[in-house]
Amino acid sequence: MSAVMNHHEARVATEDLIYREARLLDEKKWQDWLALYTEDALFWMPSWAGEYETISDPELELNLIYLKDRSHLEDRVFRLETGESFASVPMARTVHVVGGVTVDAVDNAEIRARASWIVHSYGIHGGITRGGWYEYTLRRGGDTLRIARKKITMIDDKLVGPVDFFHV
Amino acid sequence: MLKKNRIASFVDDRDGQFRVDRSIYLDDELFNAEMEFLFEGGWVYLAHESQIREPGDYFSTRIGRQPVFVVRKRDGGIAGHINACAHRGATLVPFEQGRANAFVCRFHGWSFNHDGRCIKIKGEETGAYPDGDPKERYPLTPIARLESYRGFIFASLKAEVPPLKEWLGPAHTWIDLLADQAPQGLEVVRGASTYTVLGNWKLQAENGADGYHVSTVHGVFAKTVANRQEKNKIDGMGKTEAGRMTGNVNSGSYHFGNGHLGVWAQHTTPQVRPSWRQKDRLDKEFAPERVEWMLNRGRNLFLFPNVFIMDNPSSQIRTLNPIAPGICEVTVRCVAPVGEAPDARAARMRKFEDFYLTSGMATSDDLAALEAVHTGGGARAARWNDFSRGMTAIRHGSEDADGAGIGLVPDLMTSNWDHEALYHGFYRVWKERLLAGAAA
Ligand code: FES
Ligand SMILES: [Fe+2]
Repeated sequence: MSAVMNHHEARVATEDLIYREARLLDEKKWQDWLALYTEDALFWMPSWAGEYETISDPELELNLIYLKDRSHLEDRVFRLETGESFASVPMARTVHVVGGVTVDAVDNAEIRARASWIVHSYGIHGGITRGGWYEYTLRRGGDTLRIARKKITMIDDKLVGPVDFFHV
Repeated sequence: MLKKNRIASFVDDRDGQFRVDRSIYLDDELFNAEMEFLFEGGWVYLAHESQIREPGDYFSTRIGRQPVFVVRKRDGGIAGHINACAHRGATLVPFEQGRANAFVCRFHGWSFNHDGRCIKIKGEETGAYPDGDPKERYPLTPIARLESYRGFIFASLKAEVPPLKEWLGPAHTWIDLLADQAPQGLEVVRGASTYTVLGNWKLQAENGADGYHVSTVHGVFAKTVANRQEKNKIDGMGKTEAGRMTGNVNSGSYHFGNGHLGVWAQHTTPQVRPSWRQKDRLDKEFAPERVEWMLNRGRNLFLFPNVFIMDNPSSQIRTLNPIAPGICEVTVRCVAPVGEAPDARAARMRKFEDFYLTSGMATSDDLAALEAVHTGGGARAARWNDFSRGMTAIRHGSEDADGAGIGLVPDLMTSNWDHEALYHGFYRVWKERLLAGAAA
């Protein structure tokens, strides 16, 4: 990957990565999925603080998920892989549909992008469709592009069933 | 309407055995009676005062099936009203929380002040109303009783209820244990999560006061955080108190009276609690037994019929909002001391997110378990849920040496949170309240 990247190249690279992530989650290839993240990656889904706004200070307010490095994502995978989580056996099938990828900024170090998502899951609660948007910071390094930050805004509330990292 | 003999038949309460009929989780007629006689027929928890701090701040919710809101008045008092316009019934406040100088109905434009008085009728002059000021005939319907205890606001749609403190009874001691950790008061932290449980509200009530499931359902949580701590060499407040999930620790379970329940378990690592920071102050201000209860014992308090107040390494207000026999909306909020140090607050929030959410690593498992019980309740060929564990270990009143330190004299208790005897109290009160309301 050349150091100079135009907007179009950045969008193509971003789409490649986001779509690959969606596919790995749907295929439940957790280790391959984890490898898309930098070691210091932030994975964040804020809670809603009213009809129109989510919380804004993830340190001091309530998040739905706020994991400050990849090892915490590994904890989530660890829990699933024990096969002992009541909520995760049987595990829901999911399909991620991601679109509207727009690149907001690109420089030598990073790409910042946003996308919309719909995830349909099917499990003991039947079919459930949730949606929202992603905000990504992707870190460039040599030939690689990895996820350094993923913020998920899920528009749904009054949630039915568990909502883990792979449901959104 | 539900008959008394049917209500009585739901609970099998005799020497050596305590069982409830699984249809209590499924029955439509029973659900309506519960709404009328329990939720709409006595004290329920409504909101925390920190949610309506400034004049005009309102918070809307429901009591049973009825939409209501509370508002902070200009004189600092709190008013509560049925959230339905006195004209033709449109709900008055469009948001769960907001601020309003007056409540203007969006249907025909009538206005009401904080006290619920009608202050404007659109086109009053051309309304051809009978003589006199028509506005005087249209106040909002007030919530019959509204009282706060240490910042927690309770309400009753029925006027004939005992004073709040009397109804709380010995359960108030556990509210005190939390409130006393907050010299500047408690506050609800910004943000909330609501989950729609596909299970009866009583299963949520049971689950939050059930110590017995912890080592099975949350064994995986304990294992996951143990792995995390090992891997990352985590120390201090970042650690998770997991003794209650894995080991044999001292514990207890209570029916305080009036359906209020409590379970506690000894912490093995109390220093991971954000409140541990306050130990020096607490040691100075309170007797050692009280401080022991505050800092060394995780406590889940259930106030009949609709709220949990939990004080563990993180702290929570969990409200139950039944929708139908098989659907209960549950909202969880973090409650914390005002002025808490930022690092302690952050640790409290991270512990909350780890455990307490349907997007977390433990509550999700709780909900799956209670939904499985709800589904199992459909097996009418197998009629009973059994609550006999602890049957021969029950003690009453002042026989509890642990409770004596904080003046706690429960109706019924055992010295083990694995025991199920506390539910005898819950279901006896549940049955009595329904019987008192029901037709012969
Ligand atoms: S219903 Fe409110 S003004 Fe008519
Ligand atoms: Fe639990």
